[in-house]
Amino acid sequence: MTRILFSDKLDNCVAKWRSAGLTVIGPVQEEAISRYAAVEKGTDLSFGTVLPDRSLKELFFPQTEPMTSYTIKKNEIETTDFTPPQGKRIIFGTRACDASGLAIDDPLFGWDYKDEFWFQRRNESVIVTIACTKSDDFCMCTSLKLAPDSTKGADVLLRPIVKNKGWIVEELTERGREAFAIISEYLLESPEPAIPTVIVPEKFNLDTCVAWLQNPENFDSKFWKEISMRCIGCASCTYLCPTCHCFDIQDEGDTYSGIRRKNWDSCSFALFTMHTSGHNPRSTQSARWRQRIMHKFNYFPGKFSVNSCSGCGRCSRQCPVDMGITETLQEISKL
Amino acid sequence: MITQERYRTTVKELLANGSIKMAIGYRLGSTPDRRRPLFIRTSEEADQLVLDSTCMTNLSGYLVTEGLLSDEKKVGIFLRPEGIRSINILAAEYQLNADQIVIFGFDSTGRDVRPLDGRNVGEFSKLLNEIKEHPLQIVKEPLHWRIEKMNAKERFDFWQEEFSRCIKCYACRQACPMCYCRRCIVDSNQPQWINTSSHTLGNFEWNIVRAFHLSGRCVQCGNCDRACPVNIPLRLINQRMANEVLDGFDHFAGLSPTQEPVLASFKKDDTETFIL
Ligand code: SF4
Ligand code: SF4
Ligand code: SF4
Repeated sequence: MTRILFSDKLDNCVAKWRSAGLTVIGPVQEEAISRYAAVEKGTDLSFGTVLPDRSLKELFFPQTEPMTSYTIKKNEIETTDFTPPQGKRIIFGTRACDASGLAIDDPLFGWDYKDEFWFQRRNESVIVTIACTKSDDFCMCTSLKLAPDSTKGADVLLRPIVKNKGWIVEELTERGREAFAIISEYLLESPEPAIPTVIVPEKFNLDTCVAWLQNPENFDSKFWKEISMRCIGCASCTYLCPTCHCFDIQDEGDTYSGIRRKNWDSCSFALFTMHTSGHNPRSTQSARWRQRIMHKFNYFPGKFSVNSCSGCGRCSRQCPVDMGITETLQEISKL
Repeated sequence: MITQERYRTTVKELLANGSIKMAIGYRLGSTPDRRRPLFIRTSEEADQLVLDSTCMTNLSGYLVTEGLLSDEKKVGIFLRPEGIRSINILAAEYQLNADQIVIFGFDSTGRDVRPLDGRNVGEFSKLLNEIKEHPLQIVKEPLHWRIEKMNAKERFDFWQEEFSRCIKCYACRQACPMCYCRRCIVDSNQPQWINTSSHTLGNFEWNIVRAFHLSGRCVQCGNCDRACPVNIPLRLINQRMANEVLDGFDHFAGLSPTQEPVLASFKKDDTETFIL
């Protein structure tokens, strides 16, 4: 017998979790965009979109975040460290690609230096993935060897049941079990069948692409210039990507006092690699686009044994000139 | 269809006889409703050209890609009237030589696309002057009127809310043909003039800097608005600034390749004592 969480009980669950001290976060459709945001009621959540416009990463790695404040006095320097806001949260209704994105970035943020901002939030968050029953032209999780019902990065997996009346609950981790124990009174044993997860066609052969990228001869291939000629170097693809993780550290203030902040940065910008001398080792947009692809499918897996892409498709969906990882890898697999 | 076919033939001819080295146009995109920029250098590439009412992007920014025009060879480009105005501004601001640009003009009403007569930017001057006299499209937008009715505090709150979504990706800047500065003020980091942080203050700083720098230069092509990944209605800001400049200085950006830039020119007999 499967355990079901019926959607008409979601309001009660949200109330329960909240009274247990958890912040409840989930997909929300705002007037202008959709994103993951904190809600007070279950009915504020919106499960209709294929994928929120903005990715899950910003709840763990916000676009700007204070790290330290400093005051320089005559004979001393005072610093105060910021810590991320504490408190447990449950993120209800992530997509498999977004949750996978977190798992992909874990080794990066914990590699030579353990990023406490990332890990504090990771440890305090319960991730509840809902398997996808819809996709669009840009979804490509399967091309990345993931799936619409991947459990990667998730603590609980929910599978929608017919007529969207609720979800079959599959607890995956201890953290997930604890969070769902809070609402156990609303979980009913019932033989409802799950809606089959959506079939996402494979768009390219990843192994072929990776082999091509690993061949050092192709670093200087003419392909890079051709494919990226129309790239305008906006950073939308990197900023919306659930796995792109580059940041810059900046002191904001004056010589005597200010705040040190950690801000998103992007390999699409010329400034990203500009040296103080004025020399730029990645002086063209094609070199920058090559870097993005190489980083995701060659350097990152070389170091962490996982590709830095979960196939959410946001980079292609949002690109103002209709580029993206999909097209580039499709073209590479044809070479 | 007819317009598209004719232009394909024209582009092929001009490429074959060496009049242009490249034409910048549109081709099919990854979904049926998408178009993407196309760089035509061969006859086969010319066959990929698509020209229909969904070709919206103002492509003129590609012309100032470093090195493209430095060999003094001509480049063709598909432009709507707004794009043609961009060429005038880029020429007036010494970013390119207008005679190097071969214009394939087009416009659309509903789904119908029609060609615009002319090849050199000077030949469009009558058309552009007519556009100046027409009421601007944007005033039809309900959001525009909602903002017009607000008092200063409400307007401030409205934009604060909108800018709070900004992620400082600078897609608006990169998509804008007028944002060609080799080093944007936000990239000047010795010292850092503008905070890089994408918090409310930082977002305000950025969006206000951009609005001012585009006053009297924006042609309302909509590139920034379409590029913004968080759907901030940037067109309304730039439109409003364009209206101010039109009212205050009778300046309509991009009328001719020698038009004086309104906020970068100086008159000895100016009645104002303060220059921004
Ligand atoms: S690929 Fe597209 S979204 Fe990414 S930087 Fe280039 S133009 Fe912007
Ligand atoms: S690279 Fe593109 S498809 Fe892959 S995770 Fe990032 S935004 Fe999604
Ligand atoms: S495109 Fe939008 S989100 Fe990006 S910097 Fe401009 S206003 Fe901000």
